[in-house]
Amino acid sequence: MKRSKIKIKVNSEWHELTVPNQKTLLEVIRGDLHLTGTKRMCDTGECGSCTVIMDGRAVNSCIVLAVEANGKKITTIEGLSQIGKLHPIQEEFVAKGAIQCGFCTPGMIMTAKALLDQKPAPTEHEVKTAIAGNLCRCTGYIRIVNAILSAAERLRSIQP
Amino acid sequence: MKEFEFLRKDIPRVDAVDKATGSALFTSDLTFPNMLHAKLLRSPHPHARILNIDTRRAEKLPGVRGVITGKDTPYVFGVSHFDQTPLQTEKVRHVGDAVAAVAAIDVATAEAALRLIKVDYEPLPAVFDPIEAMKPGAPLIHQGKERNLVAHSTYDVGNVEEAFRKSDYVFEDHFVTQRVGHVCPEPHNCIAVWDSSGKLTFYYCTQAPDLTRMQLAKALGIPESKVRVITHNVGGGFGSRATSKFSMDFAAIVLARKTGKPVKIEYTREEESIYSTFRHKFIMDIKTGVAKDGMILGRQATIYSDTGAYCDYGPVCTNVAGAMGGMLYRFMNYKFDGYSVYTNLPYGGAMRGLGNPAITYAMETQLSMIAERLKIDPLEVRLKNAVRTGDETASGAVLRSCGLAECLEAVAKKIDWHEKKANPKPNRGLGIACGVHFTGVRLSPGIDADFAGATLIVNDDGSVNLATSCTEIGSGSNTVFAQMTAEVLGIEPGKINVVFGDTENCPMGWGSRASRNTAVGGMAVKLAAEDARNQLLNIVAEKMEIHPNDLEIQKGKISVKGTPSRAMTIAEAVRLNRYRKNGQAIMATAHWDAPSELADKVTGRGNFSFAFSFGAKAIEVEVDARTGKVEIVQVVAAQDVGLAINPLGIECQIEGGVHMGLGYALTEEIMLDPTGRMVNDHLVDYKILTPLDMPPVESIIVEPIDPIGPFGAKGVGEMATIGTTEAISAAIHDAARVWLKDPPFTPEKVWMALKKKEEGSLSSQD
Repeated sequence: MKRSKIKIKVNSEWHELTVPNQKTLLEVIRGDLHLTGTKRMCDTGECGSCTVIMDGRAVNSCIVLAVEANGKKITTIEGLSQIGKLHPIQEEFVAKGAIQCGFCTPGMIMTAKALLDQKPAPTEHEVKTAIAGNLCRCTGYIRIVNAILSAAERLRSIQP
Repeated sequence: MKEFEFLRKDIPRVDAVDKATGSALFTSDLTFPNMLHAKLLRSPHPHARILNIDTRRAEKLPGVRGVITGKDTPYVFGVSHFDQTPLQTEKVRHVGDAVAAVAAIDVATAEAALRLIKVDYEPLPAVFDPIEAMKPGAPLIHQGKERNLVAHSTYDVGNVEEAFRKSDYVFEDHFVTQRVGHVCPEPHNCIAVWDSSGKLTFYYCTQAPDLTRMQLAKALGIPESKVRVITHNVGGGFGSRATSKFSMDFAAIVLARKTGKPVKIEYTREEESIYSTFRHKFIMDIKTGVAKDGMILGRQATIYSDTGAYCDYGPVCTNVAGAMGGMLYRFMNYKFDGYSVYTNLPYGGAMRGLGNPAITYAMETQLSMIAERLKIDPLEVRLKNAVRTGDETASGAVLRSCGLAECLEAVAKKIDWHEKKANPKPNRGLGIACGVHFTGVRLSPGIDADFAGATLIVNDDGSVNLATSCTEIGSGSNTVFAQMTAEVLGIEPGKINVVFGDTENCPMGWGSRASRNTAVGGMAVKLAAEDARNQLLNIVAEKMEIHPNDLEIQKGKISVKGTPSRAMTIAEAVRLNRYRKNGQAIMATAHWDAPSELADKVTGRGNFSFAFSFGAKAIEVEVDARTGKVEIVQVVAAQDVGLAINPLGIECQIEGGVHMGLGYALTEEIMLDPTGRMVNDHLVDYKILTPLDMPPVESIIVEPIDPIGPFGAKGVGEMATIGTTEAISAAIHDAARVWLKDPPFTPEKVWMALKKKEEGSLSSQD
């Protein structure tokens, strides 16, 4: 089993690890770094529960190898809120009823964050397209779309 | 309506912040020092005799810590029938039946070890269809179950034959519904830990910790005091976690005992797709007698349910189908025969609505067909027959509150029913359907219990710790309980800390099953809160030398009515009660067993739930005749929930229920190949609706206050999904003049039906 040394920056902290080459970024995040906010649902990139932001892009961490993340900057759900202060996307998810069982929520929020970073004023269709790879079994997505749209509006008013 | 401070309010979920920040713990997030990971070896054959199992090579693989087979798990288990063992010793009965398990230092080692176990099988003839399975000469799957028939549920009310003779028309139709999966986001998982005293702590992602404890203790043959079940947040339930998953649970438990280490098992998505149980396939014949004016005189249903290789909730689902088939309309002649049949397929279980979504789909679709043939408006025929408050239904339910007619009228108005029906657009169609589901249930055969519990302690800062028997599976029950406690005690909901999911620290109850939480769990919470309130008032009354009736509680203060300045905070009252001679904590506990009844053994009738939530859905579709694709234009869903404790939460439940119903109608089906193996066990092939597929959904809450439920509330979750598929089948007919009787209504099926209709009309011209 070949192993490689990697260095990744997760939520503003650098980590140096030696990992088997076939280990996924999701396994490193959950298993080695104990950041369990990122969820495992399908292991094949079909559901979006494990979404993190890698160098500005939303990725399914279950189909990114840890060695591919070498040298990259990664944000997980734990890196989004400051202590005691939620990110506006999180606040809107809470206020708009976009959360039920909560298992898809971290991945959904990270996808929304990557979208709004790139496109501060998305249309409803653009929001739906962005989160089309994030499956939710509880909500029917309606409140999630509303939460992302109203977070976008709030973020625009903060950073015009 | 009475004004409430914290009820009928859109209060955000009390657990939402934790879930939004990723700090909410789920069982799958847990690890323990020295924890091992285990995997199950599953049968590749649908039906085979086990000749030999050789585990020697697996045991020698470095990193393997334990290997077990059926010899190590001599336990018998079942939900309705005791027909399961965790690991098979003599024969396997479906592809995926478990035969061995390995615990190792990591998942990859456990998986590698499975490949080293050699099992010699002698394949046996298999049967994959319930009708075939009942024929003479079909392979026998369980000893002693002739014709593979495991259970027969019946209702025989009034005289259905006479009703058909008196009817102007009798309609008979055949429907088949498909298997669909729960698709819980969090895969099934558990961790078993034994301590040195021989006590098992079982960390389990379940809807029902107390039921699990009872099931495990009984099967293991140990006292229930030796089993503790702990549940954290649950990533979706929908019925799939309403009972122990026997093979997984016992493999972890026995391997943990054997190795002396904590053992975790977590399903892969492939396992989750098929071995988490699913909604059964129903084959249904529905016969309905009506008068010319559309009044239903009698109904008969004969149902064959493919329960798969084991029963689990199969016979319960069939029984529920029978109960719910005699609920919506005022006919009193009803006959039901529901057969649960074994096949060599993976087994089904409880899923949102039990057997209700399937039978309501069939009966409501047939009623739309009847309306069309009699040229009566489908809305009219429903309003004419609808049950009302005070009715006793054919299946024996006493309707203390019923908003069915209101729901029908509300959805019709919102979707502009009459206007759109009068001016149809090309390729567009409208459909309407209704449904009902129970709030907690007591069904034979089953446990004669329908209760939940709550315990609360008022803290010396005026906040409350509330422990409930109801698991928060995402439905919002913790928030509802916080609101109810807040209302009774005059405390902000944010100051109520709700805990659940620990059989040693929470009161007992039957878990989050049967839409029970808000009303049955809520009543226990209300009773406990009222007890605590009385304790608080008595302390203050004693101190102020005044009668407790002259006091009131508001905004964290207990004050003399009319003299608000004479007051004490709840925090002060708690301290006053604690820090004195014979001091006490303010603590209360309550259980509430709903006034429901087991069914009559002869007729099947009984008032099986204390309250029923009715609903209606009106759906507009557009059918593309070239491709057969059905586009959902809009969904309007109304639901009678009794008093709406949290309208926001209810709307969320309705939208999610519609999402699941749309999948049942249009895209979802567990596909099995001719050898009984699931073909589409990935989410890329098993299609649940994405955000891009989701139509606008308008929710309407109807509030006929229930005389028994806490503050007048009833259940919500399961009814939310019922009525969707049947409204769509009617809407497709309205748009394209074809009746489809076998969901999902895929473009292929719609296109084939359109083609057949076209050919039929051509040949009739000849």
